[in-house]
Formats: sequence, C-alpha cells, structure tokens
Amino acid sequence: MKRVPARFQWSIEMQLQCPFCGWRQVAEFRCRGVVAEFDPDTVSGVYLRVNRTDSSIEYWQHLNGCRSWLRIWRNPSSGEVLEIQALDSLVQAVNPE
Amino acid sequence: MKTPRRAGLRLGDRRINFRFDGRSYQGFAGDTAASALLAAGTRLFGRSVKYRRRRGLLSAGTEEPNGLLTVDPGPFCISNLPAPCLEIQEDMQLVSQNRWPTLRFDFAALIGLGGSLWTAGFYYKTFMWPSWHFYEGIVRRLAGLGAVASDAKLEPPWVEHIDCDVLVTGAGPAGLAAALAAARSGARVVVCEREPAPGGELDFEDAVIDGHASPAWVRATIDQLKSHSVRILINTAVVGSSGKLVIAHCEPGGLAKDAIVYRIKCGALVIATGSIEQPIAFVDNDLPGVMLLQAAERYLARYGVRVGRDVVVFGCHDRLYVSARRLIRGGINVVAIVDTRPECKTVERTALEVSGVRCLTGHTVVAALGRHSVRCVRIAQLDTPDATQDIVCDSLLVSGGWTSDACAALHLATGPNQGLAVSAAEWSVAVGAANGMLELPAVISDGHQAGVDAAIRVQSSTGHKPLPVNPSSRIDVVGGDPPPRHQPFWRSPASRKEEKRQFVDLQNDVTVADLRQAFEQGFRDIEHVKRFTALGFGTEQGRTSAVVGAAILAELSGNDDKVARTSRRRPPFKPATLGLIAGHRQGLSLRPKRHTALQAWHVENGGEMEDAGLWQRPRYYHGNGADPVAASLVEAARVRESGGILDGSTLGKIEVAGAGAAAFLDRIYLTRASTISPGRSKYMLMLREDGMVLDDGIVMCLGPDHYLATVSTSHADHVLSHFEFHRDLAPVHRNVVIADLTEAWHVIAVAGPRSRDVLSQILGEFWREKLSGLAHMGFVTGRWQDQTLRVLRASFSGELAFELHCRASIAVPLFQALVNEDMLPYGTEALDVLRIEKGYLTSSELNGQTTPEDLGMESMVNLGNPCIGRALLDRPGLHRPQRPRLVGLRANGPGQSFAAGALITTTAEQNLSCGHVTSATFSPALGEWVGLALVARRHCHESTTLLARDPVRGRETTVRTVPPVHFDPSGKRMKS
Repeated sequence: MKRVPARFQWSIEMQLQCPFCGWRQVAEFRCRGVVAEFDPDTVSGVYLRVNRTDSSIEYWQHLNGCRSWLRIWRNPSSGEVLEIQALDSLVQAVNPE
Repeated sequence: MKTPRRAGLRLGDRRINFRFDGRSYQGFAGDTAASALLAAGTRLFGRSVKYRRRRGLLSAGTEEPNGLLTVDPGPFCISNLPAPCLEIQEDMQLVSQNRWPTLRFDFAALIGLGGSLWTAGFYYKTFMWPSWHFYEGIVRRLAGLGAVASDAKLEPPWVEHIDCDVLVTGAGPAGLAAALAAARSGARVVVCEREPAPGGELDFEDAVIDGHASPAWVRATIDQLKSHSVRILINTAVVGSSGKLVIAHCEPGGLAKDAIVYRIKCGALVIATGSIEQPIAFVDNDLPGVMLLQAAERYLARYGVRVGRDVVVFGCHDRLYVSARRLIRGGINVVAIVDTRPECKTVERTALEVSGVRCLTGHTVVAALGRHSVRCVRIAQLDTPDATQDIVCDSLLVSGGWTSDACAALHLATGPNQGLAVSAAEWSVAVGAANGMLELPAVISDGHQAGVDAAIRVQSSTGHKPLPVNPSSRIDVVGGDPPPRHQPFWRSPASRKEEKRQFVDLQNDVTVADLRQAFEQGFRDIEHVKRFTALGFGTEQGRTSAVVGAAILAELSGNDDKVARTSRRRPPFKPATLGLIAGHRQGLSLRPKRHTALQAWHVENGGEMEDAGLWQRPRYYHGNGADPVAASLVEAARVRESGGILDGSTLGKIEVAGAGAAAFLDRIYLTRASTISPGRSKYMLMLREDGMVLDDGIVMCLGPDHYLATVSTSHADHVLSHFEFHRDLAPVHRNVVIADLTEAWHVIAVAGPRSRDVLSQILGEFWREKLSGLAHMGFVTGRWQDQTLRVLRASFSGELAFELHCRASIAVPLFQALVNEDMLPYGTEALDVLRIEKGYLTSSELNGQTTPEDLGMESMVNLGNPCIGRALLDRPGLHRPQRPRLVGLRANGPGQSFAAGALITTTAEQNLSCGHVTSATFSPALGEWVGLALVARRHCHESTTLLARDPVRGRETTVRTVPPVHFDPSGKRMKS
C-alpha cells in the first residue's frame, strides 16, 4: 500500500478576500494552477499557459472555509490581487441559462 | 517563618514559598523573583559572563543584564530568565547562573586575576599555542549564560491570529491615552503590555489626570477600554514582525509554559513602549547594590521593597530630587544626592537640603567600594577629580538619563519609524517616552493625538466613516514629574588602569578599556565595535549599554558633536524559547492524526497502526505473526479459507445529488453513472483532464439523481475538490449538490466463504432474506440496533464479501459482534496480498501515469462516454507500443521471489528497462510469488519470459507474464 504524505503550505502573511467569507489567511486556500482559459476537452485548454510576470489567472479553492472555487487574477511579481470572483457565478454571468 | 507583609500595587495576600540556590524564601502572590529576593535581603544574584564578578540586580524589567536565573528542574528547565520578569510560583526552584560550585564562592572568579588575557577579542590573540583547540573546550564551557536541560521539550504554544485596526504596544500613560482615543473614534483596538499590569510609570509618578489620581485613572481607563471592547493583552510583548504580521509572545509569569503566540494584523501601529533609564560608567559600577534609580522606585511602588537602607542617588538631571523625595516617603534613607551638573536651583532640591539630605552639584561618583556589595561610594568634584571623599551607604542609585525603548522594540538602526515591525503595519508612530517625550502632559497628549490619527487613517483606508472626535475629549493632566533638564554625563574620569573596571555592558563584561582598545585597533563603526567587544550581545541587546557605549566611543574619537549611532537590534525583542517560535510546528500540531471509531479497538487487540495520509489504519495484528509479512499471510489465508473483517472506514465517500447529478457523474467518470439502477452499484474509473486514470471506486445509485461515490483513501480530499471544481466550472451542473461523507459513514468489509452466514446470523431475520437474495454489486438499506445500516455486496479481496456502511455509534458493537462469531480482523497488508492475487488496482498501478488502455480497461473507453479526459485520451502518444500494459508475473523457478520496484528487462537486452514491477507478494492461495507489472506493450504477449532486476536489493529473477488475475480468474468465489 502506498503511503501518501500530507502536504502543508504555510504562508502566514498573505490574506485573500473570499467573496463569501471575507478576508481570510491564505493558508485556508489551495491553488489548483494557472490557466488562461480552462477547457478540459482540448489540449491547448488543458496545457497551454500564458506566462506573464505581471498577470496570472489562477484557480483557487477556499478549502478550509466555504469550499467554493475562485478565479483569482493576480500580479505574480508583486503578489497583488487584482480581482477575485467565484467561479460558478462568473461562468453564469458569461453563459446565462 | 513568615516574611513581613509589604504594601505594593502588584502584591496579593497569599504567601508563596520558593527556593533559590537551595535556600527557602517566601514572597507574596504577584511578587517577582527579584522583588521577593530583594525583600529578603539578597544582594548577590549571579556572576558575570567573562570575569565572574559578583553581580546584583541593575533594573526592574527585561533590560536586566545581571540577574538571570534558571528555573529548575525538569523539562521546563529554562535559563536566562530575568529575575524582575519572573513571577514566583509555589515550590518554584530557582538557580543562579555562571558560577561553580556556588554563587558565593566561584572557582572561576580566579580568572579575573588574569584580566589582560581576557580583553576584547582575546581569542584572536591569546590562547594560541599550541593551538586554540587546546583551550577551546575549557573556554567554551566557561562561556555562555545559562544551561539548557538535555531533555528539554519544545512546548507547543497556543497560536492566535488577531485582526485589528490599531495595535498599541505598551499600556503606560501614552499607550492608554492612544488606545482610549482610537477606541472612542470607533476603531478596533488591541493593547499589548509586557508587564503583568498596565500603568507604566504612573505606578509611582504623582499626577492628577482627568480628576483622578494616577493609579485610579489607570483603572478607570482600563474599564472604559473594556467597555469599548478593546482587547488588553498583558504579559504580552511584541517581539518582532513576520511579513505583514506583528508577532507578540504572551508568557504569563515570565515562563514559556502556557504561552500564547499572537499573530496580529493591524492597520496602524502605535508604539508606546516607553523609555529605558541609562546607567553611568565609573569604577566598579557593577557591584551588587548599584541599581538604576527608577528601578528602585518601581520596586518600592509595585512590591513595597526597599532596595537599600542608606542610599546615595547619582545622576545628571532634575528628577533625581523628585525621585529622592519619593524614596524618602517610602522609608528609604537618602544619604546624599550627587548631581554632575554645575548647579541646580529647583524647589525640590531646596526642600531636601532643608530636611537634611546632602545635595552636591558638580560632583561625580568616581568609584563604588566594597567587596561583596556596596559599602561606600567615593565621590570627587569634576574640576578636581583627585580630591576624593567617601560617603558610607549600602546602595547607589544611578540615573544617566533615558533612551527611547522604541529602538529596542523595533530593531531600528537610527531614529524611530524605520524598523522591521514598523513595516508590518501600513502606518505607525512612536508616542510618549518612546518618542523622546518625558513630561506627562506632553506624553498623554501625544498618545491621545496619535490614537485619533491612527483611527482616522485606518478607517479612511477601509472605507468606514470615523466617528466624530469630540474636541473637548482631550485628557486633562495636572502634575507629573518636572522636566528633567538633563545634561548628558556618561562616565566618570579615570586613569587607564581604572578604565578596566568601568563597565559599559554588564552582561558581556565590556569595559571602557575594551572600547578604547577597539578604537585604538582601528574599529570606528559601531557595528564593528559591537562584534569586536561584544557590546550589546546577549539577552539585554544593548538596552542599558548601547547608548553609553556609543557616547563613550564618540568621546574617544573626538566626535562629541556628531550624533552617536547605536547598533541595529534584531528580533526577538525579548528572548524567545524555540518552543514559542516553532513549537506549534511539531507533532500533532503539524500533522494531526485521524482516527476511525475503531481505533481503540484495533490498538487493544494488537493492531499495529500505520499512517495512511493523516489516517491511522491497522497494518496487521500482532497475534497473527511476529512480523508484518508472516502476519499478513496468515490473515490472508484465513480470509480465503473461512473469512475475515476489515475496517475500511477511511474510504472516501462523496454523495452527489440534485437535478443533473447523473449527468454530472457521467461527465466525471469514464463509464456512465446514469445507467446504474437504484439499489445497484458499479465499479468505475475516473480520469484526469489529460486522460490518465485519477482514481477508481464504486458508485452506488441511491435513487434517481442521487448517488454515493466511493474514492480511495489517499485520494479522498483531492477527488472531492476535483468534483467541486468541475461542478463550478460548467453552468449546466450548478444544481448539483456535493457532500463529503467520508467521516459520516464507517465501513466494515466482511469477506470470505462464511461471510453471508455470519452476517445473517448477527443482523437478524430481516437481513437474512435480503442477503440471500442480494446479487453482486447490489446493496440493501435497513436498520440494525435502531441505526441505519447499508450492506453493499462488493469485494476487494475476490471472496464473497459485503461492505457494511454504518454510523460511528454502531461501528464498534458491529465489529465486536463479528469478531465474536469468529470472523477475525485482517489489516492492510493482508488486504494487499488478497488484491494482488486478484489483480485489483491500487495507487501502485493507478500512479497518475497510466491510461485505462494501459490497465487493460479499453472496453470501458470504447463505450464512448464523453467524460473529462476522454478527448485527450485520443492523443497518438498514448497508443504507441512503448506505452506500458498491466500484466501479471510469476517466477519461473520454484521458490523464487521478486519485489515491487524491480525493473523489467528482456533477456536479450538486460540493460534497458521496459517496465517495472508495481506490486508483488507471496500468495498463500497459490503457494508462490505473484505480482503485477507495467511492461511495454510489445513485450506483453502471453507467457513472455522477462527478467526482474533489482540491483538495489541485489536480486534478479526470471519471470513470465500471465494474465493479471492470478487466483480464481472467473470470479466464481466472489459471485457465489
């Protein structure tokens, strides 16, 4: 049986503003990855990234909180967060059904 | 024998007994070790680091350089605790440091005789022949402050995060005024005070503030702050900052036990840490009995301790007289006041002269005389330093002025507002004495204004509208100590030889001679001098030595008019044990353990628990064999023969419901969940976006659009996030509800030929007929002992098996009932043996690099469900002949074995690996070693002979490929 070590990421200073829970320590969140436009059915949607030093769009989950997925637009060089949106509301806004 | 009662602001009624260096003493609740020992007449508190000179207390706070004690014995043996900060507790054992064998008679004090061998930087010049290492052992043993217990534990502290608008460090007059002003303006305020009670110098300074006497004003202000929901943290010192957080350590009683670490995020920082009194250097100024003037006032006001009977007061400002008056009022006889300024004409001085105190101006103390402690002081006129006279006394109280404590608190190189902790807040300011103000009206109004400014600034940045500040809410102050009119005086004149006994830094035994030597050897920058002479090292960090040292250096280098610089102070501001810094990142604080309800049962019955992520699972049971391998084989054989049970509660369980749940699961899993009928389940594979298999599990259909998916233990958290991500990503799934039920349901797997009979017997009549009619992969919901029970007929062992899903409350009774019927438990090692025999897959095979086709499941792929990962599965690279394929392995020779991790090569090309063994075990059912391997497709035909090479473990075995299901390929036993 394989042993799976638990992974912890401690980052004590940064805070993110979850749209539902307010300002929370960054340790409550987990980052899934950086993608420009995520599309699980195409190779470019899954793999290709736009690597810019001043702008990155990431998917985070508020794991130790409301567990909602967020799309965070950040400046990775300065760490400044430019925009945070809940993923499901964002998609609803784009594709109203 | 009871100690006489004393009246002090911090004392309680209860008497407390403690021991110091083996002798018993008694003090009162609230006493510190310093005050209790001083009250008992103790003068000798320790010995110095280098010369082992006798030392007494210099101060009444954390700046204490001499009186460092060790609390002993046991795992909380903590050394280097300043006596004035250590509250005594019942039966506390205190030990002095730096002496052997006793404090009174120290062997190494003889070192003092070889004085010139130990000057600054001695290890660069002396002790060189035959080599430094010859002497190093002895020197190192003599060096250092206290000792640490070899079995010292890191006590994990409580860690608390605080979010506030305004953080006020210090609850003296400036801090309280600032906190009050900020709180009245509507800001959220937190006050940190490192002493056990707020008040600061208002403990002894007489003033009428807002109509109250100073102690009453402090109490009233605290009440007002509490009514504004201000958090006041006492015994809490700000020790530094970490990024955008200010770190404060709360050590109740001065010990690291029961400590709290506060991580504070604040918008504005008001630094009201006050000032530190500075000493003056003269010959033998380190004798016990020489103390700072305000320290004596603090001991008198807070603890009712008279530090001496006949004292001489020495300094260079007007407040000497005010303090002397207070000391006389407290019962201390002031023999003389020695003022280095040429003249002083204040009212207080005249009054004291009239009452018989000798007041000398233009004089300085040249030396303190005495062997064990001060017996008399030698004074001289500054104009004629050779004409000396002696005054008999038993204490000398020195005050060379004050320096702001903001430097020490915030690790600044130069003036305030430039340090590390300062950068943690967006806006910060130093107020009161920390800002260089010493008069009470100015201090309080400075604090008040800063509080208002801080509140306005914070609220404007967060967008709140600040409450209007009442202009007449100024705090009215009458009284307070007069302006000091200080004329700097740092050291008495002395000959070169005498300079060797004029101490600048008492903790590190740095004398004026050392500074002169550093200067003569070319060191100019204070940072170089600090490291060469050790000025400002240690727990005291230059609080009572840096300014004096800098001034003396300036004098030596002839730069009297240049601003003297002190060296940069570093965090932590107050010494912190490693436990406070890292204690919460160890053991269970760092990696908690997750237990099932059966944990206690497993341990009691011989289960050897192992980590599975954060879970604890039984690996095997001790009663079945001496080592894991033997035990697992016994357990596995027993399952095949009669039966066994397994605690599978760590399995991940995710319930998916809501409109579109079936369509959602169709999207997630390789095969369709929507085709499962209610009451049945299916084994399904889940893919990652790139086509690799993410996990496998059983999905049960509880009803239309209502499913329960099981997930491997190790993937439970990850797959839950995966579900939630894809649910949030696609709007069509937005009504799907996903619930994590991993901890809600306990799972007991009952496997073996006897399983059905035993279960029918235990569960009752209702269940008997249900179980007899239950088809493979079906499930039944019912009740047992008045709790819901769900029985799923599924097998991971290849035998007739049932999975019981129940709540935690009946898990232990059910498990025990099964054991009573002779269905004995097996552990995860045995589970592995059983599943390898059947070719079932775990993370060894589902390693994130295998596609369904690699694992032999192309039939699932060919059903054509457009799930996540399906599109990328068609990439040509995933179909090349080099791709691995799952095969079973058997050894060619009898009794030969191979292990997981061995590399597979062909017999023709033995140095080129074409795969690896993923799992291997001895099979009790077949009597030989069996395994599973991932081997390149072109070598995977029936019965190919391959080589399993394990150079790391030194084994090479010839194997042949077989279908992966080794035992009972038709699945007869499982489906009986």
